[in-house]
Amino acid sequence: MSSYDRNPSTPSSSSRLAVAGVAGSAQRPGDGAVLSGRTLLRVICTSGSGVLEYTHAFINAYTADHLRGAVAQRLSVGAYELLSNALNFGSISSDIVIELIESDSMVGVRVSNDAIAARISMLTEHLLKLKTNAEQTFLEELRRSVTGGIPRPMLGLARVTHEVGLTLDLQVNERRISVTAQCRR
Amino acid sequence: MSQFSTVQVPRAETIAIQVTAPNQVKLSGTITQKDPASDLAGFFKALHTAALADKLAEVRADVSGLTFVNSSAIRLFVDWATWVKNERGQRYTLRFVTSRNVTWQKTSFMALLSLAKEVLAIEHVT
Repeated sequence: MSSYDRNPSTPSSSSRLAVAGVAGSAQRPGDGAVLSGRTLLRVICTSGSGVLEYTHAFINAYTADHLRGAVAQRLSVGAYELLSNALNFGSISSDIVIELIESDSMVGVRVSNDAIAARISMLTEHLLKLKTNAEQTFLEELRRSVTGGIPRPMLGLARVTHEVGLTLDLQVNERRISVTAQCRR
Repeated sequence: MSQFSTVQVPRAETIAIQVTAPNQVKLSGTITQKDPASDLAGFFKALHTAALADKLAEVRADVSGLTFVNSSAIRLFVDWATWVKNERGQRYTLRFVTSRNVTWQKTSFMALLSLAKEVLAIEHVT
């Protein structure tokens, strides 16, 4: 773990998709912008037993100590679900990086990992659905949780946008993807 | 004798579970393990079966102290609601007691209510 004054891992955006959360406060200018600012913490993970649980526990404790309670709760969900997705669907041959980033007005969690083209395509499609109607997508994924389905239900990102109202931003640079979930501080 | 209150409570590292006769189960802590079904799915199913055997009119599931759950855990609550909804004979109302102060609970349980409103009730506490 280490801190940086600047975020070194933001990829050059060969493509980018922003999905605004709908819960909580209304969107304001700048909410959908790429989050850049001070990196409060940066954890490099490799796949392994328990990595999700103990990394989340650390980030949860950190955010609870450094941020307002409601913001910390929202980022806790964001951090867990983004990291879970990266561990489940990302390439195991490269590191997964999770960062907590703050700017003057925003704070967010960013998870970066390598992924295959099919996964990137699926993720982009899912984010577009969330952008169109986060609530409806959340309900659909809940229903699919009951019936099962292929591909498997993707409730995590729907929670991030609809349940805790974070804005999602996807940046893709060849195989490297970065998903950021952010909100106002 | 109440079958509900004799359901075996699973050991889980991050959750405290308390079953109280005649019809209450209280969960607090966090559910972060990757596959919570291994600990909790059987437990919820046992509570459901016991509630039917006891002919309970209502089961109170107090989750207000669950400060964080992952999406796999939410699926377990969806499953429980679905079991009740799919009962053809006598069935009970599944009442989730939730906290207004826990962000994830506000939206998730309202969404769950929309999927199984005929068998669910949501109660908010502070």
